[in-house]
Amino acid sequence: MSAPLTLAFLEGLRPILEGVESSGFSHIALVLAVIFPLCMAISMSLGGAMSDLFAKAAAMLGFIVPAVLSLLLAVVYYGQDYAGGYAFEILKDTGLGNFGIYFHLGLNGISMPLFVLAGIVGLAAGGYAVSGKIEKIRIYLILLLVMQAGLMGTFASVDVLFFYLFHEFALIPTFILIAMWGGRGRRSVALEMSIYLTLGAMLTLAGLLLLYLKSDAVAFNMIELRAYASSVENGGLISALLLLGFGVLVSLFPFHSWAPNGYATAPASNAMLHAGVLKKFGLYGLVQIVLPLLPADFIVWSPTLMWLALGNIIIIGFVTMAQRDLKMMLGNASVMHMGYAFLGLFAFSAVGVGGAVLMMFAHGLSIALLFLLADVIERRSGTTEFSELGGMAKEAPVLAAFFIAATMASIGLPGFANFWGEFAIFVSLWESATPWVIAPAVAGIVISAVYGLRAVSKIFFGEAKATYEGGDLTALEKWPALVLLIGLLAVGFWPRLVSDDVDAAVQDIIRTAEPALAATSQDVIVAER
Amino acid sequence: MSDVPTLLTLILVNPIVAAALIWIFGRKRHNLAAGISVLSAGIGMVAGLLILLQVWDGKALYGGPLQIEWLTLGSWTLNIGLYLNEISAAMLGVVTFVGFWIHVFSLGYMQGDAGKGRFFGGLSIFMFSMLGIVLADNLFMVFIFWELVGFSSYMLIGHYLTDEAAAASRKAFIVNRVGDFGFLLGIIMIFWQFGTTDLIALGEQGVAVSTVVGLLFFCGVLGKSAQMPLHVWLPDAMAGPTPISALIHAATMVAAGVFLLARTYFLFDDTALQVIGWIGTITALSAAIWAFAQRDIKKILAYSTLSQLGYMVAAFGLGTLFGRHYHGEGHSEYAALWGVGAAMFHLTTHAFFKALMFLGSGSVIHACHHEQDIFKMGGLWKKMPITGTTFFIGLIAIAGVPFVGAGFFSKDLILVLAKGQSAPAFYILTFTALLTATYMGRLFVITFLGKANSEHAEHAKETPWTMWLPLVVLSLFSVGAIWGLELFPKGVKPLFYDYVLHAEGSEFTLMVIISAVASLVGITFAYIFYGAGASSDRLETAVKPLWAFSRSRFFFDEIYSWYVKNTQDRVAVFVDFFDALFIGGLGVRGSAGATGLVGLMARSFHGGNVAVYVWSFFIGVVVVWVIASDAVTSLF
Repeated sequence: MSAPLTLAFLEGLRPILEGVESSGFSHIALVLAVIFPLCMAISMSLGGAMSDLFAKAAAMLGFIVPAVLSLLLAVVYYGQDYAGGYAFEILKDTGLGNFGIYFHLGLNGISMPLFVLAGIVGLAAGGYAVSGKIEKIRIYLILLLVMQAGLMGTFASVDVLFFYLFHEFALIPTFILIAMWGGRGRRSVALEMSIYLTLGAMLTLAGLLLLYLKSDAVAFNMIELRAYASSVENGGLISALLLLGFGVLVSLFPFHSWAPNGYATAPASNAMLHAGVLKKFGLYGLVQIVLPLLPADFIVWSPTLMWLALGNIIIIGFVTMAQRDLKMMLGNASVMHMGYAFLGLFAFSAVGVGGAVLMMFAHGLSIALLFLLADVIERRSGTTEFSELGGMAKEAPVLAAFFIAATMASIGLPGFANFWGEFAIFVSLWESATPWVIAPAVAGIVISAVYGLRAVSKIFFGEAKATYEGGDLTALEKWPALVLLIGLLAVGFWPRLVSDDVDAAVQDIIRTAEPALAATSQDVIVAER
Repeated sequence: MSDVPTLLTLILVNPIVAAALIWIFGRKRHNLAAGISVLSAGIGMVAGLLILLQVWDGKALYGGPLQIEWLTLGSWTLNIGLYLNEISAAMLGVVTFVGFWIHVFSLGYMQGDAGKGRFFGGLSIFMFSMLGIVLADNLFMVFIFWELVGFSSYMLIGHYLTDEAAAASRKAFIVNRVGDFGFLLGIIMIFWQFGTTDLIALGEQGVAVSTVVGLLFFCGVLGKSAQMPLHVWLPDAMAGPTPISALIHAATMVAAGVFLLARTYFLFDDTALQVIGWIGTITALSAAIWAFAQRDIKKILAYSTLSQLGYMVAAFGLGTLFGRHYHGEGHSEYAALWGVGAAMFHLTTHAFFKALMFLGSGSVIHACHHEQDIFKMGGLWKKMPITGTTFFIGLIAIAGVPFVGAGFFSKDLILVLAKGQSAPAFYILTFTALLTATYMGRLFVITFLGKANSEHAEHAKETPWTMWLPLVVLSLFSVGAIWGLELFPKGVKPLFYDYVLHAEGSEFTLMVIISAVASLVGITFAYIFYGAGASSDRLETAVKPLWAFSRSRFFFDEIYSWYVKNTQDRVAVFVDFFDALFIGGLGVRGSAGATGLVGLMARSFHGGNVAVYVWSFFIGVVVVWVIASDAVTSLF
């Protein structure tokens, strides 16, 4: 019923949407969504003395604008028949045109949901940042805004170099935020994370540059490169570099150890943005660049990837069960769930890769919500140790309801967006090169239930062991959480909000990959049949 | 308004709308929440009855047009659609009818509870999820709602927020997830084998899946219908409010497994059916044995539920197997459905009499100020005549007193099929019938007869009408004679008339004798052995080893907690240690190459000065830019 309804609604909007599209407003909106937070950051840092309240208001504007614009663009995109292809493209020369490098923005079926994810999570993270008492709030917000601009830019970039640069742009504030506003052992954690992620990013950069050099492409962007998919030399080396580099950034086992500590230490808004959005950069790169361009080499590496992804699910799953601290548990859980996304890529089918993209979107919302709520719990009780918490449901029923909902989302309950991603990935695995992998992968749903529900019962059930100050969720804390929860529920109830365009884009990738696969590894295909 | 598709949609959608309204408006307005929820259950019941009327004259078949494409990725499409056949029509009637009366009962039972709004919201979510399973037209959709009933069950078991409730709700969810692990694998394998999970399409293919896939699929039933070895969660689930125990953990959700078996009977091959039949048989017997050492009125009923679910699963496995290979004279047209008929019949009668007894126990608990130990009750029939009388009707029904108790008709069918298929199973199930009458007799004579054994029981009074009225309604359907009347629409009729193998002639006489002996001897023995209104357990004092045998519950819980504590948790701690030491420690921080790098970079970064970070970033960008362009120009 709601399908025709939604469609009828969009049908009615179509003239308006077309107007928006043809007037060029959508192109402006896209650039504005990326630039605006940065402009706010710059003006806030250059502006003279300002009250905290003014700084907060200005920063919120910097988060609201990209969020609203990203949603607007999503509506325009959803209403038009782009069939998963690129829209709103904009191209500007930056003096590197000789090398085929341009400031080139655009969105396709895969980047669109992630662009919206960045907008929504950014809004929630910003909203949460202004809800509490944070020292040097102005600098804190400036750094978050810089990060937000980087995130929006990463997923809006068509040009590969800018895609990478925007990522770095978002990454640097993370280190500073952890080092200055972090919790326990912030300096050493910030250091470890900086080194680890910089190494990962360098490997990625090396892989990307090599990819450009070794292909015959004349432009260094995701659209252009695809035309040269089968012409890449040294594909094995390049895909190894990219897999390793991206893998580190997504916390692929065993390159994950930066993540739990980093997230547990990071200030909440930063953890939300990093775990929720920035971390998806690596998976996004694999989907947009490696799968279509180097499919044959990816297939060669994919058994290794599968084993490592199982490491994420099973080994880190057990590690997560052993955690006695909520934030550490969440950090590990987010590492574990990345294993599912990797398995989706491993399956190398529209079902699997599409599932992985859905998973990225959903996981971003749910982990951001969980980090937000974990921080509220810490604000109330001064701790996130399970042994010191308990009985919070009676003190803070709304907080409890949100936390249970977020936990249920993250352990893949239907009705929340995460379910569709996990489910599609499971379905795809039985048709993958090694069908047995479905069994350990699905076993993960038991593991995640064990630790997820343990957290809920330790924090919210039983008798209170600590004194809680501040009561239930305040309105300022509630609305960012509600924004995230509504996102999870909306896609959970009607996955086609995201999945139709993802499906079209992913099918396109699989189609692009097919000739290369057929040319280089007949035997693999034969073996699969 | 009253065509079948509209009614079905209304039935499915109205509880979730109610839940949403409660969430938005009713969290603090408890009576509003209760009102919305009961109203929604009432609409559901009326619509359910209207559907039964619609199909009064014909086959209850509806499926197809309402299908909506919910998600498509590549070659995989998940549809949401509704499929009504005689099996789901019967189940629909049970769920909406029993569900409504339990809603009414809850009005009284939950009066003054701090979380009343949350409770009724949960009830509505449950109704939505359960009806989704009943009406789903494909296995993916079944799985979605399967998980959702698990969630509602979790929320409602945990209602009281105590440590006990926390442990019980967690256990229920996790044990069910263990079952769902196999269930999901089974569904996915079925999908890739047939290219669809549409129940109508699968039925038309008429090919059974392999034994392994069938048994994986059956794992879902193991969890949800609490069959051995995944039965451990159900007794603990009694930590939830009593109406929940009646609705979810007796009448409807736990029967969903049996319903699903009935709906997909064609999927199972002979070996799988054999295994299913025996799991049911063993569960029936074991749970009946365990019931004898329980003192908590709800726990006794919980073990009884386990045992009766075992009957249903056994009926399905043994009966389908028997029917499939039946070459005898006459009524063989529906032979393959005999198992389905017997299982669904018992499911239906059980839903009424078990919901009745659970609500009866709720009425007793309410009257005795939350006392649940039967040895502290006694003499309640006189003080609570309606509760006592209706509970007695329930006792007659479950014991299967010939012609009077509803359980007689359905249990009779099961025994006939078991006798045809496997003599050992037949003897076990017959013996279990005797045990059932005995432990239920024990419960009844100790609770309701004799004199009061505690202060609370002494002052017990009959409960308000919201609580006794549902008892009266449900007790009507627990009377055997009702099931002899032509009360069913023709649409549902095949299920209870054509799909069942009625005993005839000497076999019928045998069944009547068995049921009469088992039920009457059991109840009488209980009366003599335990004594009316006893204050201590005579089995414990007189025949200690037997009591201990029953008390042990065959050590399932002990084995599982040992596993969790000594294996799972230890592995987790060990792996965590390994992860921290080798990967996080030696691997990352300790490796020689990395150490040098760490030292090198540490110095440049260690200032903690923002400017340094920013500058190093920009320098890096410039350097990369220069190198990149140089490299490019020199190469080309």
